[in-house]
Amino acid sequence: MAETSRLAGTKRGRGDEEIGADSNSNADSDPRQALGLENNLTFSDTLVALQMMRSQFPSVEKVTIQPFILQSQLYSSVKDRTQVDRDLESLKKEKVLRVFKLSTGQDDHAIMFMEDYLKQMASSVKRFEKEKQHDLEVFEWFKTYVMESKLDVCIAHQELCSLLSHGGEVTDRHVTLLISAGLLTRQLIDPNMYWFAIPNIGSILKGLSQGRKELLSLLNRRKYKEMPLAPLEKKRLRLSPLDMRFHLRDLIGSGHLKSLQTPAGIIVRVAKD
Amino acid sequence: MRGRRCGRKSGTGKQVLYSPFLWSDVSAPAASPLSSSPTARRSSAPTTAPSTPFSGIKAAVMFINATAGLAGIWWATINAAKMHVDLTEGRYLLSGASDGSAAVYDIQHTTDYDGGLIAKHKNLFVVDKQHNHGHKFAISTAIWYPIDTGLFITGSFDHHVKVWDTNMIQVVMDFKMPGKVYGTAMSSIATAHMLIATGSADVQVRLCDIASGAFTHTLSGHRDGVMSLEWSTSSEWILMTGGCDGAIRFWDIRRAGCFCVLDQSRSQLGRRPPFSQGTPKRVLEDFIASTVSTGKSSFEKTPVSQKRMPVGNGKKQLTTSRKNQNVSGGPSTQRLHPGMSSSHNRATAHYGAVTGLRATSDGMYLLSSGSDSRLRLWDIESGCNTLVNFEAMRLQTSKAIQLAAFQDSSLVFVPSMASVKAYDMWSGTNLGTFRGHYELVNCCYFNLQDQELYTGSNDRQILVWSPSIPAVTVMEEDDKKGQTLSTDRDNWSD
Repeated sequence: MAETSRLAGTKRGRGDEEIGADSNSNADSDPRQALGLENNLTFSDTLVALQMMRSQFPSVEKVTIQPFILQSQLYSSVKDRTQVDRDLESLKKEKVLRVFKLSTGQDDHAIMFMEDYLKQMASSVKRFEKEKQHDLEVFEWFKTYVMESKLDVCIAHQELCSLLSHGGEVTDRHVTLLISAGLLTRQLIDPNMYWFAIPNIGSILKGLSQGRKELLSLLNRRKYKEMPLAPLEKKRLRLSPLDMRFHLRDLIGSGHLKSLQTPAGIIVRVAKD
Repeated sequence: MRGRRCGRKSGTGKQVLYSPFLWSDVSAPAASPLSSSPTARRSSAPTTAPSTPFSGIKAAVMFINATAGLAGIWWATINAAKMHVDLTEGRYLLSGASDGSAAVYDIQHTTDYDGGLIAKHKNLFVVDKQHNHGHKFAISTAIWYPIDTGLFITGSFDHHVKVWDTNMIQVVMDFKMPGKVYGTAMSSIATAHMLIATGSADVQVRLCDIASGAFTHTLSGHRDGVMSLEWSTSSEWILMTGGCDGAIRFWDIRRAGCFCVLDQSRSQLGRRPPFSQGTPKRVLEDFIASTVSTGKSSFEKTPVSQKRMPVGNGKKQLTTSRKNQNVSGGPSTQRLHPGMSSSHNRATAHYGAVTGLRATSDGMYLLSSGSDSRLRLWDIESGCNTLVNFEAMRLQTSKAIQLAAFQDSSLVFVPSMASVKAYDMWSGTNLGTFRGHYELVNCCYFNLQDQELYTGSNDRQILVWSPSIPAVTVMEEDDKKGQTLSTDRDNWSD
């Protein structure tokens, strides 16, 4: 089976230069490079891959959101998935980044660098401050006590209260404030557990799931369910604010699409099973 | 989540045979009426060399996809749901199907050949709905009695677990469960008990005793049905269960409550945690924190119960003092038995239901598959997720699947939709895909003695996969022209 592994695809278009793995700061300066997946994505390091993809995060007009990376995108750009998982685990412990479980799909996770998340949190808190509500000190407590010590994707109510109480008296109003700010979400299966969440991300997630469906249906409608990468990348998705490259990486990493190396370039095909 | 059977196709039932033969002596193949003439087990491969190194899987899988690596096909009028090869001889394959029938096949003797290359096996007997004590609904699990092939146990969605006598093809014992039976398991290393652990749609795991014909005890702790069960391969008293709530619990059946709940967020990097990190804090902290403490007295109890735990857990630390301060005044103050407090532990091993469990033969690692389409490898001793990422697979979400693991070559076989994928156990790379079924594959079983993989699926077939012939042997056989059938030299009798 002549398929390249979806992980390390040398997605190089014709005539494009190869970008080294460390020139992530220049990635968007050249407009041609900013468009394409034609970069060489065989990163040996998870952190470098993360920083590269962070810099390639598309700019969304309506919502101000800091860059985040989906875990499936990471799998498609680093060769060894087990190593990715382990690197993520150690980066989580070092508090360089945080992982969030998304509500789109069974196993979707988003990775955000810590400074980006704090910025996002700050902008969401500012919105609350404008409305002049009291009890705003809970956000400070959250940042200082909960974020530092709880590194998982979810937290139990009991533990949340006990961690917040390091700052002061905790009431239910405080927890409600956190939920309405978007920092926590209740779990559907268990009323006592909360997921950590990225505030203001709702419209993006909607766009994510719709964009995935649109891209898959685009390829499924074709006769042989495949398309060369170069023209595919130039298409724009109608329903998603995120660009095609974001979705391609995500779907290749989660196994819905496969990329194959052919004499005519790279071809993206819907995976059969 | 309740198991739903998808693609339910019942056969026409025309292959029912109640052949009136008896196993006078299970170990003598000559007594079986089927071995009339020495027939080859496999037509296109030499049947010797059980030492064919299965690490040659890399060569084998390429062949399997291209040519007939299929050594045999069993034509059956069933959707194979679960299968089991007996452990004493490795000769009889028991499979249960969704039309309520269970059949036994002799995997070392073929009955005829299809086109000269593919061997076909007919079943030795079938028990189905027409049998006066047969199951009425789909059979979800079928296992052999671990000591010999005189008994086998089937569990079905009609809430019954039946123990059958193989020679008489009669039910000797019948246990009624409160819900649909999803899985049964018997420990193959048990010497002091003969308990069948059964998991059903009810939240409790029941242990049925063949010796007395009654339930010995129930294990509670799961919050939803129990879909998969597996006895430990290193201790006859330890049972591992995976539930529809996503939790995997370890039970020592000699005491109440489970002693470990696997949590997917507790992980270790690599197969063993580095020694310098110290002994990992076990789930003890969680259950101490979740035990609503009334005062110091309940904490004093816990060190005592610690010492009665089985051997492997003796060295766990108690970090009680730190957790004590963190537990702020919660709701009601009930004193719980320390063993039962783990029912408060809500750690999940998967984001969906746990659909399959398989322990490695050395008893150190556990593989679990979930309906979130992830396969996780757990280190049993530390209770941590080893973070091995098995590349993207899509698993069926509504019913239990049967995994196979072969530790000597570090292989894991997972039925993934309509194919079976083989992975390397420690790195998670996909070594190959076995595509031969037309519909969803439900179960796969790896036979260590013959080094064959049996897979059963909804398309009513059980396929046998074996490593392809090494190239050297092929060249030797070219010299002998026209000899496509090689004889099974072990199959002789006076």
